[in-house]
Amino acid sequence: MEEMILKLKQEIIEVLNLEDIKPEEIDNDAPLFGEGLGLDSIDALELIVLMEKNYGIKLQDPAKGKEIFRSINVMADYIQKNRTR
Amino acid sequence: MIMENKSVKILSAKQISIQNPLAEEWMDNPLSYTEDYVRAVDPDFRQFISAGDARRMGKLLKRALATSLSALHEGGIEDPDAIITGTGFGSIENTELFLDALVREGEQLLKPTQFMQSTHNTASSLIGIHTKCHGYNSTYSQKGFSFDSALYDAWMQFRLGRIRSALVGSHDEMSPVFSGFVRKAGHVKEGEICSEAAVSVLMTECGDNAYCTLDGVKLLDTPSEVTLKQVLADMTAGGINAVMTGMSGNAENDSWYGFLNTMLSGVPQLRYKPLFGVNFSSSAIGFYAAACCLRKGCVPAVLSASGKDIDCRKGILVVNVVEGRHYSFSLLKSVCGK
Repeated sequence: MEEMILKLKQEIIEVLNLEDIKPEEIDNDAPLFGEGLGLDSIDALELIVLMEKNYGIKLQDPAKGKEIFRSINVMADYIQKNRTR
Repeated sequence: MIMENKSVKILSAKQISIQNPLAEEWMDNPLSYTEDYVRAVDPDFRQFISAGDARRMGKLLKRALATSLSALHEGGIEDPDAIITGTGFGSIENTELFLDALVREGEQLLKPTQFMQSTHNTASSLIGIHTKCHGYNSTYSQKGFSFDSALYDAWMQFRLGRIRSALVGSHDEMSPVFSGFVRKAGHVKEGEICSEAAVSVLMTECGDNAYCTLDGVKLLDTPSEVTLKQVLADMTAGGINAVMTGMSGNAENDSWYGFLNTMLSGVPQLRYKPLFGVNFSSSAIGFYAAACCLRKGCVPAVLSASGKDIDCRKGILVVNVVEGRHYSFSLLKSVCGK
């Protein structure tokens, strides 16, 4: 799981162009939106594309993203359980 | 609608190009190039944009914002009444990424940020959002005539009394792939440097320490010789020191300016394209360069065909001819003695 979390952080940094942030600086339990990383609704769309492109997970209900993207740990856990690639 | 006869003050003008950015070093010590494709010299964008804000911006947006904020800062105005922008092709690098993804992966997995940046009015919108200027906001995309169209809009808005200040700019980037297309299509010709440019000009009805005044803008499409003569006679009646041309050294391009030899014979012709290269925002660079000359009261030798400095205390007519059909004339007058 640790390897998966590191890979996910690297992917998020790349796709959201968070060039000043290193993987170890992202708290696994901190909120991705609002506080924490301070992501916004456009970032949510980017993360939905990332999940489908890299893990074959298609979010049928975008509103679910709010729960799935709560933190790195929650997101990694969801990917682990639902990935098709 | 009443059109007022008025001149507009140019309070500041800033560029990012293949010359040193946000400065007028090019007037005395220009950078010179032997390559036929040169990208802009960028400033440190962190002084203008936070890392968080910058992460969704391509080069064009960063340059547009940096020149805009610099122009507003120097002019001492925070929120102009209008933001009017020209761009030939907008954020072409992000457009390329978006189209590449479309071809590679179909329509299902496209990135929203690249889509947002592939629209031409992104720069004008971004400047409006960043400066909290929510007034008139418009974008003109007419290839090499984009800045001229934006400038004409601003001129009309001033004359109609709808605005008292405007930030007018033109911004174009040139990716390696796109520069090849542009050359094949003949927009950049043999002997010309394919380049990039971002220019922002702050204009107001009144204000101190202006670079110069804008006293007239005229756009013509395939004009007759008689019309050209009349327009030139009208616009130069008060006297000018020089005419800023888009001549580049390419024979076909320069032939479009041949009418100046007879209709404005004896008036020194200036060339900015050998210094700044050619792109879809080139005419904005010509306008900027003319404003800088009038501010200094002197045309530097690097712009003049004679290779000598030219006294410049009356005015400069900026002329842009695109594809031998579209003509633009902007009259800039010195504020010396006013």
